[in-house]
Amino acid sequence: MQLTKADFRIGGAEPRELWVPANAEAAAEAVRACAEARETLVPWGGGVTLAHEAAPERYDRALGLGALDAMVAYEPDDFTLTAQCGITIAELRRTLAARGQELPLEAAHAERATLGGVLAANASGARRLRFGAPRDRILGARFVTGDGVLARTGGRVVKNVAGHAVHRLLTGSEGGLGVFVEASLKLLPLPPARLALTHGADGALLADAARWRAFPRRECAVLTVLGEEAAPSFTVPGAPFTVIVGYEDDAARVADDARFTAAQLGAPRARRDASDVPPLWQELATLEERPGARLTFTSAHRTPDAIAFLGGHDAARTLVFHAAHGRLHLWPRAEDATALLAAAAAHGFTPIGSRGIALPARPLTGAKHALRVRLSDALDPARVFALGERWRAR
Amino acid sequence: MTAMPLTALALDELRALLGEDGVVADASSLFTYDADAMTLSRVAPDVVALPRTSDEVAAVLLWARSHGLPVTPRGAGTGLAGGCTCESGGVSLSLNRMDRVLSVDHERLFAWVQPGLVNLWLSQQLAPAGLYFAPDPASQQVSTIGGNVSTNAGGPHCLKYGVTLNHILGVTVVLEDGASVTLGGEACDAPDFDLASVVIGSEGTTAVVTAVCVRLLPVPEAVQTMLFDFESVEDACHTVSRVIAEGIVPAAMEIMDRHTVGLVEAWLQMGLPTDAAALLLIEVDGPAVSLPSQVERIGEIAREWRARSQRVAKDAAERALLWKGRKSAFGAYGRTASGFYIMDGVVPRTKLAEALATIYRLAEERGLEAGNVFHAGDGNLHPHVLFDAKSEQQQQDALEVSHEILRMCIRFGGTISGEHGVGIEKRPMMTELFGADDLAVMERVRAAFDPARMLNPGKILPGGSGCGEAHAHARGPAQLGGMMFGVDAARSAGPEGPNLPWI
Ligand SMILES: Cc1cc2nc3c(=O)[nH]c(=O)nc-3n(C[C@H](O)[C@H](O)[C@H](O)COP(=O)(O)OP(=O)(O)OC[C@H]3O[C@@H](n4cnc5c(N)ncnc54)[C@H](O)[C@@H]3O)c2cc1C
Ligand SMILES: Cc1cc2nc3c(=O)[nH]c(=O)nc-3n(C[C@H](O)[C@H](O)[C@H](O)COP(=O)(O)OP(=O)(O)OC[C@H]3O[C@@H](n4cnc5c(N)ncnc54)[C@H](O)[C@@H]3O)c2cc1C
Repeated sequence: MQLTKADFRIGGAEPRELWVPANAEAAAEAVRACAEARETLVPWGGGVTLAHEAAPERYDRALGLGALDAMVAYEPDDFTLTAQCGITIAELRRTLAARGQELPLEAAHAERATLGGVLAANASGARRLRFGAPRDRILGARFVTGDGVLARTGGRVVKNVAGHAVHRLLTGSEGGLGVFVEASLKLLPLPPARLALTHGADGALLADAARWRAFPRRECAVLTVLGEEAAPSFTVPGAPFTVIVGYEDDAARVADDARFTAAQLGAPRARRDASDVPPLWQELATLEERPGARLTFTSAHRTPDAIAFLGGHDAARTLVFHAAHGRLHLWPRAEDATALLAAAAAHGFTPIGSRGIALPARPLTGAKHALRVRLSDALDPARVFALGERWRAR
Repeated sequence: MTAMPLTALALDELRALLGEDGVVADASSLFTYDADAMTLSRVAPDVVALPRTSDEVAAVLLWARSHGLPVTPRGAGTGLAGGCTCESGGVSLSLNRMDRVLSVDHERLFAWVQPGLVNLWLSQQLAPAGLYFAPDPASQQVSTIGGNVSTNAGGPHCLKYGVTLNHILGVTVVLEDGASVTLGGEACDAPDFDLASVVIGSEGTTAVVTAVCVRLLPVPEAVQTMLFDFESVEDACHTVSRVIAEGIVPAAMEIMDRHTVGLVEAWLQMGLPTDAAALLLIEVDGPAVSLPSQVERIGEIAREWRARSQRVAKDAAERALLWKGRKSAFGAYGRTASGFYIMDGVVPRTKLAEALATIYRLAEERGLEAGNVFHAGDGNLHPHVLFDAKSEQQQQDALEVSHEILRMCIRFGGTISGEHGVGIEKRPMMTELFGADDLAVMERVRAAFDPARMLNPGKILPGGSGCGEAHAHARGPAQLGGMMFGVDAARSAGPEGPNLPWI
């Protein structure tokens, strides 16, 4: 399918030009040309997030990375891969699964989401605490700086401390510091056993801290709470909350984990094993991209009782809370947002993202901000990356 | 930045900031701060500052700035790359007095600690609560968490548990201008530049770490240790790959080659099979229910790859015995040769056997002996080239062989340092690993952290400018003398009693 500029709209704004480089050098050339012309550019992966972003102040060119979708090197016995960053997460998954391996990162709409997009967002899924975020998986990368320099840091082997880890700085920089063109990642063998247990919970069970206390030490792969309307296809009918507990280990351990969980929570309402489990993790990731105004919070909490305070709120009906790593998503009614933000703050939740709801402005002063600006200036001296502006807003 | 001469007045200012006991300035004491465990690069600092708080760290940096002095952070000085050596003079900023555990959250499994806290002390303090800090460099009885963070230290158990980076939630640092900032923290993944992950592994060149938020793990319920011997190194390496491919991720997989086995056996007479081409030690840990099936399957795989014998430790004492050979390798080299050069190269695991053959050939061509004990699970080789420290020629040959070995690692798609860092020691090799553009981009990031270039200047990047010129620094191989200090250190607080360290 021939892509057009209309496919690269951000918040309704269309770029003046669309560039789809065929290789890394062409991507570098495109960025350099843009810098020389004093124009701005946005690197595009699958557009899962970008399509919903607010329009940047200036948006001259879209750099579509979809043609950079090759697997560069995959040696299963090394448990590493190097791929171009336009490759989709689903494609990576298929290649790896054929060899009994995985990249334990979920992204919403995996058929569209790209490796570059996931790295740029440092996006992870419900299994984040147990298996790490992209910053823990990335071994090295080739990338293009804002002045069009094609550089490489890190490497392809699983252990490497040679040199400054610019690839880790780019991870999570949301397309504001550089364009990933190729990355090397550390893989995992598929676990011998997987188990997902679904339990219904009422407000009292959710709030019962003693019941949850032992879960973090079990090192669950997933401990996620859903509101009753969050996912009609797998929430427990009639229960105000659904708790999904996931384990990935050897069979003996997983069986033991199942016994532990039954002792804490009773018999599960539903249970999935083995290859039926990963699609559930994927569904949980895709839930986060549900349309509507959304608030996302992070916290240091590790157990479901942390969100008991949401009991009386309407937004509890659709919430997604990855308790294992403290990430909460809410889709509130516009009139509830302010009260929810206040209640969340009082319970240790920090808002980190929103869609369709204005958040209080981030403080853009102080030494940390000055450092952010220096880094932006260092890697993007001509201020090419349109989305980089949010990091330096002076 | 090169140090300006230090005046008496300036020293008085520093004493006023830190107190008399916070400043070391007499020549004989400064001498003890002239190197880390890579002792052939020795430069004494002009002064050692020993702050007790983050505010004092900031005060030292501002003081140093006003006097044009470079600052080199120092933990325990166990580094193996010259990282904390004050190459350009100036201030050695010792974090040793900031050694407290600040807070522990037993339920949410994290702790805030000061940087000078010794790695093992943390796990010892946590042991009653059944928790520990997973990164376990062999130097853990001595090295500090701040040093581990700054080198992104690994250890034998990082195959399963990951390196230091994977266990750090956040750091509080003091920047070159004296500002204190917290990067990351207890909550995961706030949307921001991941500045902590740039500071981690930057060897004291980006910021001074003054507090660390570490992730804690539950102490594994059970441990099982096995030792196999093989007639070929290839078979041992294949066993390693096969085990992981089956989804079993052991806590450790360590290979010791024939050369090393021979030296250890000559020393300790433990009954090791000196005719074996390789010994493979595998340790699994986790819930007790998991281990029997893993041990059984690993045994089957090893036999498929022609393991000649298999020993499984029945108790803690036997476990310590199985590890003893592995942990004594270092001492055995020292006993055999008056000098040895240790490398830290990494090759893809599938290239291990070929890499070993190349190492033996390179050493043999110069009439030198080379041994290997290594973290096989992650391809992190620690080749040791032995030489006679009294022979200039041998020393030179050993150095050249080690550079050839690192070149081989690069050629095989690997790297020049898996865990020890670049420091001074591997700096000349950086231009072989990276292109000029790569190094220049690294330098840009570093300069954004440290515009005045006062933090550990000259380290890591050749020529300091990143423009690709090789650094002509008078240096030589690390010698035994400087590296023996830790030989009676223990690895862990585990029940197996005292262990010898290894690298
Ligand atoms: C702060 C943040 C956190 C997120 N966390 C999660 C999460 O935890 N789990 C989850 O499932 N989803 C998360 N998302 C959504 C996440 O963006 C998508 O899952 C993923 O990025 C989609 O990939 P994509 O290829 O469609 O990216 P796009 O929507 O195309 O782009 C996303 C961002 O990445 C940039 N980008 C894309 N490709 C590149 C590249 N090659 N080089 C440099 N920058 C590039 C874009 O400029 C844009 O800023 C998060 C999004 C953001 C913004
Ligand atoms: C016997 C022995 C065994 C070893 N085994 C291993 C091993 O298994 N794995 C491994 O990875 N390493 C190993 N090492 C190397 C060394 O122990 C590690 O690099 C360790 O992390 C260094 O810690 P340290 O406290 O001694 O730091 P130092 O040597 O004092 O410093 C190391 C670097 O970190 C910087 N630094 C220290 N503290 C700070 C701070 N607070 N803020 C900013 N920068 C700082 C210094 O400037 C220097 O560049 C071993 C060394 C020996 C001698």
